[in-house]
Amino acid sequence: MLLEIRNLTKRFGGLTAVSDLSFTLAEGDILGIFGPNGSGKTTLLNLISGVYQPTSGRLVWAGEDLIGRRPHEIAAGGIVKTFQNPQLFGELTVFENVAVAGHLRLKRRAGWRRVATLLPARHGSDDDLHERIERVLALCRLGSVRDQPAKSLSYGGEKMLGVAMALMCEPRVLLLDEPGSGLGQDEIRNLDEVLRDLRTHGTTLVVIDHRVGFLGRLADRAIVIHHGAKIAEGPPGDVLRERSVVDAYLGPGHA
Amino acid sequence: MKLLLLWVPLVLVPLVIHNNVVLTILIFTYLLGILAVSFNLIFGFTGQLSLFHAAAFGLSAYATYLAMAHWGVPFWLGMVVGVVFVSLVSLVIGTICFRFNLRELYFAIVTLAFSELFRLVILNWNSFTNGSLGINFTLTPTLWIPGRGVVPVQGTMMWYYLSLVAVVLAVGFYSRIVHSWMGRCFASIRLNDDLADTLGINVFRYKLIAFVAANAGAAVAGSLYSFYISYIDPHYFSIDQSLAIIAMALLGGSRYVAAPIVGALVLTALPHVINVNAEARLLIYGLILILTILVMPRGIVGVLVTGLRRPSRAPQTPERPRHAA
Repeated sequence: MLLEIRNLTKRFGGLTAVSDLSFTLAEGDILGIFGPNGSGKTTLLNLISGVYQPTSGRLVWAGEDLIGRRPHEIAAGGIVKTFQNPQLFGELTVFENVAVAGHLRLKRRAGWRRVATLLPARHGSDDDLHERIERVLALCRLGSVRDQPAKSLSYGGEKMLGVAMALMCEPRVLLLDEPGSGLGQDEIRNLDEVLRDLRTHGTTLVVIDHRVGFLGRLADRAIVIHHGAKIAEGPPGDVLRERSVVDAYLGPGHA
Repeated sequence: MKLLLLWVPLVLVPLVIHNNVVLTILIFTYLLGILAVSFNLIFGFTGQLSLFHAAAFGLSAYATYLAMAHWGVPFWLGMVVGVVFVSLVSLVIGTICFRFNLRELYFAIVTLAFSELFRLVILNWNSFTNGSLGINFTLTPTLWIPGRGVVPVQGTMMWYYLSLVAVVLAVGFYSRIVHSWMGRCFASIRLNDDLADTLGINVFRYKLIAFVAANAGAAVAGSLYSFYISYIDPHYFSIDQSLAIIAMALLGGSRYVAAPIVGALVLTALPHVINVNAEARLLIYGLILILTILVMPRGIVGVLVTGLRRPSRAPQTPERPRHAA
């Protein structure tokens, strides 16, 4: 088991954002997370990626306990997330943004030897890094804007850049927080292609999305969260027809 | 490499200009330039407003002199003592500030408090530091020169070339860092440290490296500067000194490694060009600082490179992280 989440609970003062939630993730899984606005989906991803510390419960990653780890340690371990509202280095170009995200790759390949590349005599070859950046930019359809400052991108472009930066970290699990929200038709089509590419590459994905139809086709499995608690789990098609799920989304009495 | 050619005229200056005032201004410019360039690593490139920089400068000056006076070590070893001492102090202060995740003004205030702490120790430890009277140096640095053996560093010409070599080495050192993967980590911390964290960058570690590396440069500058003027007193640690360093970095341009030297030149030359008393000088520094921020936030070098066009966002404003809901 790659990732095991056991009885995870997060309280903010009197508000229970995530309540006694458990699920597991295996290598190559594509898990969809559904739930109405404010149901605790983003909080869940923030707990997994170390942005928040849980009030109680356990997170076990490849046999190791993740509780108390800082976000950068969790990212280094292979769990990387994108943000619902794109987070970028606005002043830097698209290329430079992805290059910053190449830090973990450098760290994994070179380890402490990366310090030696700072010496004047050593002109550390960045070719390998550049090649990888170009590949990620091409995959995310950002090649044409590579030299533009990130802050000049459209909203959809910003979101794709977020995905590109996360991919540059070479994640074993990629957590995508509503990658499709706020995107135009063309951008959505673009995103869907990228996600399908990732699926063919066997990347393990956890995706939050409201677009039931799309995520239903992409995901192998879905969980539905309501008021921070898991109310259903199973193949997406079946789960979304469940009585409790329909009630949670549309209010009781609609089915 | 092409930028290296820009230094060549400076090598030739003493051969053409024999005016001691001009050369002295340039020596001060280079020595304060090291101070401003090193400050800019933590300020302009990593986005942390440290007010400890003047203290690092002063501490190293005292440490160098006291090591020479008490242990009888030569100047260069004394400088190593200064740099090591300042680096260790910075490691402790940096660890405290960054572990508690002090940002922006909180970091500035706490680093200011630490520099005041050291100033008060120096001021009151009369038996060791001679308190507010300061120390008049009776020792001079020596240098081994091929063909001439070990000679004391004295006279305008020797100091000119020594300080020029020092500032070139400092610029080389910091530009190597800034234009490397480590510089990318610093930039990511300046622009959005929450994002840097989720991309696997150890924000604490790289802030600490930037803080120590910047203060180590201030330490080198402090040792050289104090021996050039052969005098130290607790005023080295004062807030005016910190403000002058900030003014140099902003005036020169905080986006370019060597640009603060231009700021150092302007602020060093200014009192000679317009003859005013010390109080009025501070007023003029303040006015220059305000005008720079309003009219040319990219500094003099920034204006030379990109023109007066105002950037859509002032460079010193850190990107506000837009938190996910």
